[in-house]
Amino acid sequence: MSTTGEKNTARFGHTELPEEQQRALRKAIKWEWITIGFLVVSTFLVYLVLGNSQAMKAAWIEDLLSFLPPISFLIATRVIRRRPSESHPYGYHRAVGVAHLVAAVALVVMGAYLIVDSGIGLFTAEHPTIGGITLLGSTFWLGWLMVLAMLLTAGPPVVLGIVKMKLARTLHDKVLYADADMNKADWMTALSAAVGVLGIGVGLWWADSVAALLISTSILRDGIKNLRGAVGGLTDTRARTYDDSEPDPVGERIDSYLRSLGWVREARSRVRDEGHVFHIESFVVPRTWPRATLRRIEKARDACVEMDWKVQDMVIVPVAELPEEFLPGVAKGGSEYR
Amino acid sequence: MLLSMLKIGAVIPGLVLLLGLTSCGITIPQDPEGTLEKVSGGILRVGVSENAQWVQLPPTGDPQGIEPELVEEFADTLDAAIVWVPGAEHELAGDLFHGELDMAIGGFGADTPWVKEAGITRPYTETADERGKTIKHIMLVPLGENAFLLELDQFLQAQELEL
Repeated sequence: MSTTGEKNTARFGHTELPEEQQRALRKAIKWEWITIGFLVVSTFLVYLVLGNSQAMKAAWIEDLLSFLPPISFLIATRVIRRRPSESHPYGYHRAVGVAHLVAAVALVVMGAYLIVDSGIGLFTAEHPTIGGITLLGSTFWLGWLMVLAMLLTAGPPVVLGIVKMKLARTLHDKVLYADADMNKADWMTALSAAVGVLGIGVGLWWADSVAALLISTSILRDGIKNLRGAVGGLTDTRARTYDDSEPDPVGERIDSYLRSLGWVREARSRVRDEGHVFHIESFVVPRTWPRATLRRIEKARDACVEMDWKVQDMVIVPVAELPEEFLPGVAKGGSEYR
Repeated sequence: MLLSMLKIGAVIPGLVLLLGLTSCGITIPQDPEGTLEKVSGGILRVGVSENAQWVQLPPTGDPQGIEPELVEEFADTLDAAIVWVPGAEHELAGDLFHGELDMAIGGFGADTPWVKEAGITRPYTETADERGKTIKHIMLVPLGENAFLLELDQFLQAQELEL
């Protein structure tokens, strides 16, 4: 394997991030702490007025689950800061995937549980009982407080989501993306719960269970989406963009750069996502002239690393022909990107 | 951008709520089964289960004790006549669940096991049992009859009990 020795030791850990990514990371950490702070306040607030509403319960559990992604992110960013060691030669980047998986499983389990729970409530025609509460000497309907709590907690997550979404793009961080995505949709949960409670208010006992079902379905959907992403990452799916919408363009750029070099006849890479950074193996078939000197290979590698900060753990492998067993689809002719 | 998203987060729910409220034009909460409406100027069916000074059932005549007195006052505020239905706790809970009672008393505590069958009021007073454990006293109502429950809650919370 051709690697450039000096760079190997310095390529992990966040100290090596470009300025833009370092700034984004600091911001992301700050915003995740803000998220946690907001969640502490909102879960406490909602807990106080929880009452007998199934929709409120579902919204509250979703709030509790919302702690997972920011906590996973904060833990993961600490762990991956570690440098690769003899026992962990690839570094600790997969910690991101593990954190992602844990959060996803929690979402799936709770979403499924809440669907069953709310479904039973609907099926057995449970009539949610919400009575009065005495505050400042007057007794009024607790449902009003529930609606108020939901309206108060509806707005802030949307802002958090939008801010974090931008950072997730810069950092190529899928946990942060999933978190931001959930936050952005959080106002719908709050709205559903408020509508459910108001439904109880106007005498529609089923409105609560229906709202709870909507909320739990959205939790489950989040869970399945995240689970798919997390498992995909851990099972070495071809690297995709931060929002999984398309294959990351870096692979194609590297291939076409390598092919443009005078000494390269054919080049193809396989790219997997380690969490933030990519592992890239580029197979290169050299021409007989100009020759593939060590110097040329190292220079090509340096140029690729320069292309994108995510490209650090890259190897260039000179081969006589593109190996089918490492590059599925190569025999069908040409690049997967073509 | 931020501001506009903030607005969507807060304004849309607000609008929907407002629309819903004004178009209904009714007081909130309502009873799905209309208990408060039926009881007002009608008959209040009260389950009674004997329990120390809270509910006493003499061989003849109406139930006595702290809670029957409260219920009588409450019925007065609704202009309702009371029908007393004596029974064991689980019978009363079952009757409440099947809509055969409007409320039940029996010195019940907030830790009552009957929460699947009946709704509970807010605790209206606290006492300590012989082991010093606090009992928060509540009454039982039908599940989900929230207008009736709120009416009872408001009545009970306004009482100054001397125990």
